[in-house]
Amino acid sequence: MYWEKEIETMGRSDLASLQLDRLNHSLEQARRSPFYGKRFAYKAPSHLAGLGDLTTLPFTTKDDLRNAFPYGFLTVDLKEVVRLHSSSGTTGNPTVVFHTAGDIGQWGNLIARCMYTTGVRKHDVFQNMMGYGLFTGGLGFHYGAEKLGVMTIPIGPGNSKRQIWFLQNLETTVVHILPSYALRLYKFFEELAIDPREDLALRIAFVGAEPHSEEIRKKIEDLYNIKVYNSYGLSEMCGPGVAFECECQEGLHIWEDHFYPEIVDPASEEVLPEGEPGELVLTTLTREAMPLVRYRTRDLTRFLPGNCPCGRTHRRIDRITGRSDDMLIINGVNIFPIQIEKTLMAIPEIGHNYLIEIRKENFMDRLQVHVEINEEVFHGTLAELEKLQENAVAALRAELGVTPSVKLVEPSSLPVSEGKAQRVYDYRNEAEAEG
Amino acid sequence: MGVQLSVFLENKPGKLETITKILAEAGINIRGISMASEGEFGVLKMLVNDPGKAHQVLKAHHFTVSERNVVVAIIADRPGALHNLLLTLSSQKINIEDCYGIVLEEGGQAAIVLDTEQFPEAEKVLQDNQIWLLSDGELYSL
Repeated sequence: MYWEKEIETMGRSDLASLQLDRLNHSLEQARRSPFYGKRFAYKAPSHLAGLGDLTTLPFTTKDDLRNAFPYGFLTVDLKEVVRLHSSSGTTGNPTVVFHTAGDIGQWGNLIARCMYTTGVRKHDVFQNMMGYGLFTGGLGFHYGAEKLGVMTIPIGPGNSKRQIWFLQNLETTVVHILPSYALRLYKFFEELAIDPREDLALRIAFVGAEPHSEEIRKKIEDLYNIKVYNSYGLSEMCGPGVAFECECQEGLHIWEDHFYPEIVDPASEEVLPEGEPGELVLTTLTREAMPLVRYRTRDLTRFLPGNCPCGRTHRRIDRITGRSDDMLIINGVNIFPIQIEKTLMAIPEIGHNYLIEIRKENFMDRLQVHVEINEEVFHGTLAELEKLQENAVAALRAELGVTPSVKLVEPSSLPVSEGKAQRVYDYRNEAEAEG
Repeated sequence: MGVQLSVFLENKPGKLETITKILAEAGINIRGISMASEGEFGVLKMLVNDPGKAHQVLKAHHFTVSERNVVVAIIADRPGALHNLLLTLSSQKINIEDCYGIVLEEGGQAAIVLDTEQFPEAEKVLQDNQIWLLSDGELYSL
């Protein structure tokens, strides 16, 4: 039941020694990058005596990554790099993450560990419904599943009828899927008069990339009669495979042999006592191309107290409860409100005020943007307004990677932009309670 | 020619009433009215007796208003009259954005408001075809 028993069940003091060794090695590696080379030139001790000393080092933020675009965090020669992944969004510099062949190998091994933990074995059939490409969800699991030796169907997301055809005809036993898509896909089963509880060989789903509640997990388990395991990761660390649920389904074991986790108060930036909720901060322990030191994930969670009955000693984090910044996750795509603002302000026919609403509709996130029209450029025809609406949708789609609806509203009908006007209204949790 | 006011409106109950109230209180008489709607929003088009003043009071109430030149043609109030008018325009490849009519009480006539992007061309074509176009003064004192 363990992929790597010795590591997964290692005693806490042995694990701490391993972490300290790896941390010092990782800091040494980090110094080879232009960013950390400069940052640690005078400040950082050359060797940390204990893990607690890590708190003397400054945090690394997403802005640091953006400002150092493209190669400021790279520690190795480009000829050693075999892969790049990137976050979504085209406003400003994207965050790019580099991988050596060693990194890809480690990452694949971590995903294999995650999958094995939940009972996936070589004879399983794995249908990977996550996006392949710059997004880490698809390729991360693909390499992990192959490492484990599972037949992998790299189908990617969408095309629900084809998904169902594969699920049925290849007798898929394991899927990796967005939780919202798992719920939406069920509607297609109803249309096709197929009962996923009876007519499929499916037994396990991995869900991740968007926050979801325990109720949603139970619902998916019930609709398909399967076990659903929560997956956590972020492209800056590698992608999925940072933390994962075991068979107990009570919190996600964070793989502490590869990542050193801290929970900090996002405002005071102090490390919080064990068990208190705050922002997850991660330090990579084994990454070669792009080690990160005390990276602010902006994800809010806490360490769960006590030992897990599964016997693994790696601490568990609670499911992610939110963000300490304003990032929105729309159908698995990361979006910052500033991207929407910049896109709208580049359209002369649009005024200065806007409002963002997000709702759940048929288990899909619906993004609606209300914009005031600029009265100075109104010529009095309906055609120009329709064209403006189309242009705004197209510009936002190009920027965000999701298609919003755009509602034109009268000037001065939205809150003014001075001060801290609330521009984002997220109604998804209310809808989820109903769903 | 005449000046038509176009007002951007969200399609919500009570929106039109707000406008008619503002105009009524300002003592403005509406001569012709038409609404082009897309569903969620629309453009209200009006001919009034004092477009300058109407524009000013609506703007003061934060409405988005635009003034457009329109052609107002007088035709006989009988079958085929509007058809002949439109034929004249289409034969010259003039496209109509919007058009609405007002039946005049006296003389069995109708005033047709033609809103077109090709405003000067439309005016010329109709004049060349001896169609009676209302002047500003005539229009506002209908």
